Amino acid sequence: MDTTPHPPAPRLAWWNGDVHRLLNGLRRSLASPSRNPRMATVLGRLLGIAFIVCFGTGLYSHFLQDPLPWMMFPTRPTFLYQLSQGIHITAGIACVPLILGKLYVVFPELFQTPPVRSFSHFLERASIALFVAASLVEITIGLLNTFQFYSLFPFPFKQTHFALSFVIIGSLAIHIAVKLDVIAKYWRKKDSYDSDGNVIGFDDAPPVAASAPTSEAPATGVTGRIFAWIDATPEPSPTTSRRGFVATIAVATAAVVAFTAGQSFRPLDGVNFFAPRKAGVGPNALPVNRTARAAGVLESAVAPDWALTVVNGDASRSFTLAELAALPQHDVDLPIACVEGWSQTASWRGPRLRDLLDSVGADDGVSIRATSLEQKGGFRLMDMGPEFVRDDLTLVALEVNGQALDIDHGFPARMIAPARPGVRQTKWLSTIEVI
Amino acid sequence: MRIWRIALVVVGIALLVLGGLVLLEDVAPKRYGGILLWFAGAIVIHDGIIAGIVIAVNLTLRKAGRRVPLGVLAIVQSAIVVGAIVSLIVFPQIVKQGIGTLNPTILPLDYAANLVLFYGVLVAVTAVAIAVYLRVTARRREDAPRTR
Repeated sequence: MDTTPHPPAPRLAWWNGDVHRLLNGLRRSLASPSRNPRMATVLGRLLGIAFIVCFGTGLYSHFLQDPLPWMMFPTRPTFLYQLSQGIHITAGIACVPLILGKLYVVFPELFQTPPVRSFSHFLERASIALFVAASLVEITIGLLNTFQFYSLFPFPFKQTHFALSFVIIGSLAIHIAVKLDVIAKYWRKKDSYDSDGNVIGFDDAPPVAASAPTSEAPATGVTGRIFAWIDATPEPSPTTSRRGFVATIAVATAAVVAFTAGQSFRPLDGVNFFAPRKAGVGPNALPVNRTARAAGVLESAVAPDWALTVVNGDASRSFTLAELAALPQHDVDLPIACVEGWSQTASWRGPRLRDLLDSVGADDGVSIRATSLEQKGGFRLMDMGPEFVRDDLTLVALEVNGQALDIDHGFPARMIAPARPGVRQTKWLSTIEVI
Repeated sequence: MRIWRIALVVVGIALLVLGGLVLLEDVAPKRYGGILLWFAGAIVIHDGIIAGIVIAVNLTLRKAGRRVPLGVLAIVQSAIVVGAIVSLIVFPQIVKQGIGTLNPTILPLDYAANLVLFYGVLVAVTAVAIAVYLRVTARRREDAPRTR
């Protein structure tokens, strides 16, 4: 094979001319003390942790809603799902300032030249593009979902959000693999800066003489003049600039978390200025995800002949509301915790699910399927595993916070179980069947 | 490091394939166009519009650096970024509130008023931070000849 150096082919000459000069000029003018590999490592680490936390809590929530046949879930602490989903949404909101900061730091990389050096370099850049696009879309649709702004996106939320989570964590693993040497080099602060506060082993600007207009070659053309104007702006001090950048991202993250997390974490309720839900707002002093009107049960839920049918094979019993209220009543304090992140603890009252199942002779360790009065939609049917069915705290609730259930909270009877997502606390119960 | 790299790439590719399979399985093909459009839109909106605005604000402030101390500029820049990021999260809620929600417990707060209040507090905090910064640097300048 011919390895002797030869001049570039004429058709590629323009890379060494205007485009090359433009890209290098862009990178040079974007150079800033906070745009360095140490900062990319610091922010990347935080963002990576936030992504993995969101992924883990997201998978937990997904499988609680749609379990695989062999799956069992913990029922204590009762606030487990409230906590995991509160963290999911809050970490997702924290990702907004973190990802914007991370992209700010690495932005000059967008203008590297030549844009593609080799096939593996092409794959690397393509995987970054996929990673960035999927992450931005995932965070945005997650945020919009918390206030049900579905009309903005032309695809189903839940399925897309789930599929993209694998794409993102897969891209993250590849991104870490590609950048492993940089990450290792700048992992610790003391290895990253010299005594003057400069980043060790990092040149934030491509060579000036070869690529951009200099004083010897006076600025010409529009881009030349713009770069000259940028070059003439005063340089901020590196340390001030870096500290300012870190402080900005920290304050922005703290602000978006503090002013929204009150919807999931009660101690922050007093500063809940921007969350889509507010504790205590709604019928029975509880927020509502899906109303009786939206579920189409406005009439069936108040029908005088309503009865809850409990079925175990051939054995079957129907309970009117009065009969349910005549059974031994139990009081439990359990959170209603929505997949959208808001949650609130309430006092529920009603018969135990276990007692109802005993009345039709169900064995220990059975699973059940509850059916709602809803005619269609994903929440009509709900399966519950034995760990929840036999739990002392699992009720067929008739009252909440000292009042009869509001129709929007599932009148005449709803399920309430510990450590379960709100969409699986089935409202407007119609039948409960042993499966 | 090499073995870690290989392991991460293998895990990464496996998860990408899984994500693709989930997408094929759960999302109707007629929706793929919408997802691709959003991917492209995310890149264009970030790399084209948001980054462009950030660069313009950054340069404008740096230009002002000839007349205003750089520390003051850094504080102003931070305040602008914090205000912009909070706005980015709250603006869609205000829009959705205008369109209307399926039930009154979704978006029950007065987000526009809260945002204006937040801007007010942000401006006040920024002003205090600048005043403190200027006082501290002035005192340092006064003390400097004596301590040296």
